[in-house]
Amino acid sequence: MALTGRAALLALLGTLVVLFAPRGGPAVAGVALLIAVLVVIDLLLAGSVRTLRFTRSGERLVRLGESVTVELIVENPGPRRVRGVLRDAWPPSAGAAPRHLPLDVPAGERRRLVTTLTPTRRGDREAVTVTVRALGPLGVAGRQGSHRVPWSVRVLPPFLSRKHLPAKLSRLRELEGQHPSMVRGQGTEFDSLREYVVGDDVRSIDWRATARRNDVVVRTWRPERDRRVLIVLDTSRTSAGRVGTAPIPLAGEVPRSGPQGRSRVVPGWPRLDWSMDAALLLAALASRAGDRVDLLAHDRAVRAWVSGTGRTELLSSLVNTMAPIEAELVEADSAGMVAAVMSRARRRCLVVVLTDLNPAALEEGLLPVLPQLSARHLVLLAAVSDPQVAEMAAGRGTSELVYGAAAAEQLSAGRRRITTLLRRQGVEVVDAAPEQLASALADAYLALKASGRL
Amino acid sequence: MSLAAPERAGSTSTSPTARGLWRGGRGALLVAILVVAVAVTGVLLGGSGPEGRPLDPAGTSLSGGKGLARLLQARGVRVARVTSVAEAESQARQAGSTGSTLLVSDAFPLDEAEADRLAATPSDLLLVGVRSHLERLAPGVHPVREVRARSREPRCALPAATRAGSAYLGGTAFTLPAGATGCYPADGRPTLVFHPTGDRKVTVTGDGQFMTNLRLTEDGNAALATNLAGGRPTLIWLTPPETTSAARGEADFYDLIPSGVKWAVLQVLVAVLLLALWRGRRLGPVVAERLPVVVRAAETVEGRARLYRARRARDRAAAALRAGFVDRVTPRLGLPSGAGTDALVNAIAERTGQPAPHVGAALYGPPPLDEAGLVALAEYMDIVERQVGKS
Repeated sequence: MALTGRAALLALLGTLVVLFAPRGGPAVAGVALLIAVLVVIDLLLAGSVRTLRFTRSGERLVRLGESVTVELIVENPGPRRVRGVLRDAWPPSAGAAPRHLPLDVPAGERRRLVTTLTPTRRGDREAVTVTVRALGPLGVAGRQGSHRVPWSVRVLPPFLSRKHLPAKLSRLRELEGQHPSMVRGQGTEFDSLREYVVGDDVRSIDWRATARRNDVVVRTWRPERDRRVLIVLDTSRTSAGRVGTAPIPLAGEVPRSGPQGRSRVVPGWPRLDWSMDAALLLAALASRAGDRVDLLAHDRAVRAWVSGTGRTELLSSLVNTMAPIEAELVEADSAGMVAAVMSRARRRCLVVVLTDLNPAALEEGLLPVLPQLSARHLVLLAAVSDPQVAEMAAGRGTSELVYGAAAAEQLSAGRRRITTLLRRQGVEVVDAAPEQLASALADAYLALKASGRL
Repeated sequence: MSLAAPERAGSTSTSPTARGLWRGGRGALLVAILVVAVAVTGVLLGGSGPEGRPLDPAGTSLSGGKGLARLLQARGVRVARVTSVAEAESQARQAGSTGSTLLVSDAFPLDEAEADRLAATPSDLLLVGVRSHLERLAPGVHPVREVRARSREPRCALPAATRAGSAYLGGTAFTLPAGATGCYPADGRPTLVFHPTGDRKVTVTGDGQFMTNLRLTEDGNAALATNLAGGRPTLIWLTPPETTSAARGEADFYDLIPSGVKWAVLQVLVAVLLLALWRGRRLGPVVAERLPVVVRAAETVEGRARLYRARRARDRAAAALRAGFVDRVTPRLGLPSGAGTDALVNAIAERTGQPAPHVGAALYGPPPLDEAGLVALAEYMDIVERQVGKS
């Protein structure tokens, strides 16, 4: 049961009655009795909440940053009208609106209520409860009850870097046969023969074919197809650190004052989310280029594994898999990761490891086991750099800022050192700011493809 | 991407049913009923609540006088409980020739006129612990000093006292007027004075505790009390009235508030309670959510910067800045990464026009001596780097 403001208002009006009544005690008792009677009448005449039936329908998937509607159909099989207010409770980060919905369902009828969800972070969002407060005809009191109406909405990574996709695809098409003379890498595949046009590389003239015909014939090449790309997402502690500014504001994000009283916004996105964004662009590009894309998420154990999906379903299955993955606060098990990759990828493939260039973590974790991996596969390591560190490195003027700059330089030196070590082992390294990582990784992939190193 | 074929899901009510409430709450209800039953039984067995006023013939508290009143009634003495001087006078007139004893305790507030009126009644007077207006009620008996109340011996010839034996007396010691008998002395001064004047007997005691329910069973207290109070067929027991202050017209602040306002305040409290119930009832449960950790990646770098600053680690800070500078500048000068220090310094000096000793001191000199030196070193390297980039 629940009271309304009218009950309190009645009691307040009763004060006047009591004040001027000849005898106070009976007046107080009388007012209390009157309110109690009204409350009981309302409770008896209010529609039953328990017998209400709920049905949900609507979207199951939403991209982060977009809104989605979930419908709730309220059916009232009881004999009395149910009038009042309904709350469809969702977790705070589901961004459900409106919080309260007015409800008026006559007996035997049904009504459709719409809740709009604007999630503020990735993952699965489960509906919690539906609570109805059915008021009586007098509006003094009402019945209240809750129902569990299960529904979940999966919030997918937003794939913001898809804006880069057309540009990268056009570069890919450039590689494919449009300028055959430009691509003479050792690994490129022979495609077809065609007549020589001025400007073609004379080295690509196929003399044997030319001898058979009256014309000069050149060989054309195309980038190799049906290669395998294995994207490895590191979901360990280094991926939990937040860098850059979130393109989509997070729930509960508040400006915080940093040192020297500067107001600084909490950096928005974990490295993992930036990595996912880059991974999605790479996967989209690679699948268009005819390569097979697999995904492995790993920290101390395999968190997710996507393999063998067709080109058309690849992206949707990737975002579905990535959606619930959050960075865990554990140290990465690089040996386990390498073992997982080796057991899953028997043939040579491009292994793209999305992690952080953290000198301490990499030196102890990945570097010792990297030769195993790079012996069979081509390894590309992509990492998000922190713009705030770059900003700190430029700090001058006061000793505090200079010490900050020194600390930032110290970290940058560590990253440079580890980059050098990795490159010495034949590993490609992409180190870019959060917003540029996806584009840089795609460029690195295209460069590898162009040079035929896949 | 869209799997959004409209799906239907059933709903289940999570509100407790009446049966569930009964099952969950019956234990607590049983305990509550037991507690109420025990309380009610205790109150019923205990009779009417004890009266708080001292030496009240209807008072059942430890300081009340109901025990003595019962004893006297058993001996055939009529106990008349009066609460005002006027009543006492009328009772005394009613008792008439057979006579009566008027018991006045210190709990009854007397003024001068009332004392005079009491003194004018024909009744015997029993003044228990009365100190004010003694000169009007019992002329010649004056309080001398305070003494401790305790069990004392009679040490006198008064039959009422000698028959009773030791009793709990004290309180005030009095002077002894001529013709009076003093008993239960403390330090030579009597704490009980029996003073017959004409056909009237006036008895003054320094303390009334021997008459209370608490002390009545000790020593000869009961005997002394009945001897003193039961001398006549009627005992007029002057008891303080219910509301002494109101009766005397000394109303305090709360008495001046009309009763309607008090009830209205109660009603406002009820309204506030209802308001609290209205606002306090939440529409459904609080939803908790497990949120991912929010940690800025730059925090480790900031922490290191603060450590440098706290320890004044100018050497390490300068080394980090210099290493960063060398790493950036070396490729721009077209030197290999492993170029020697002299080669680097000379190349920079040549490119920028800065004096080679300055550049050398900046890059490979001793660490700065103070914070200002560190700041200056950073700025100088910035200038050199800019010049290298431009030229």
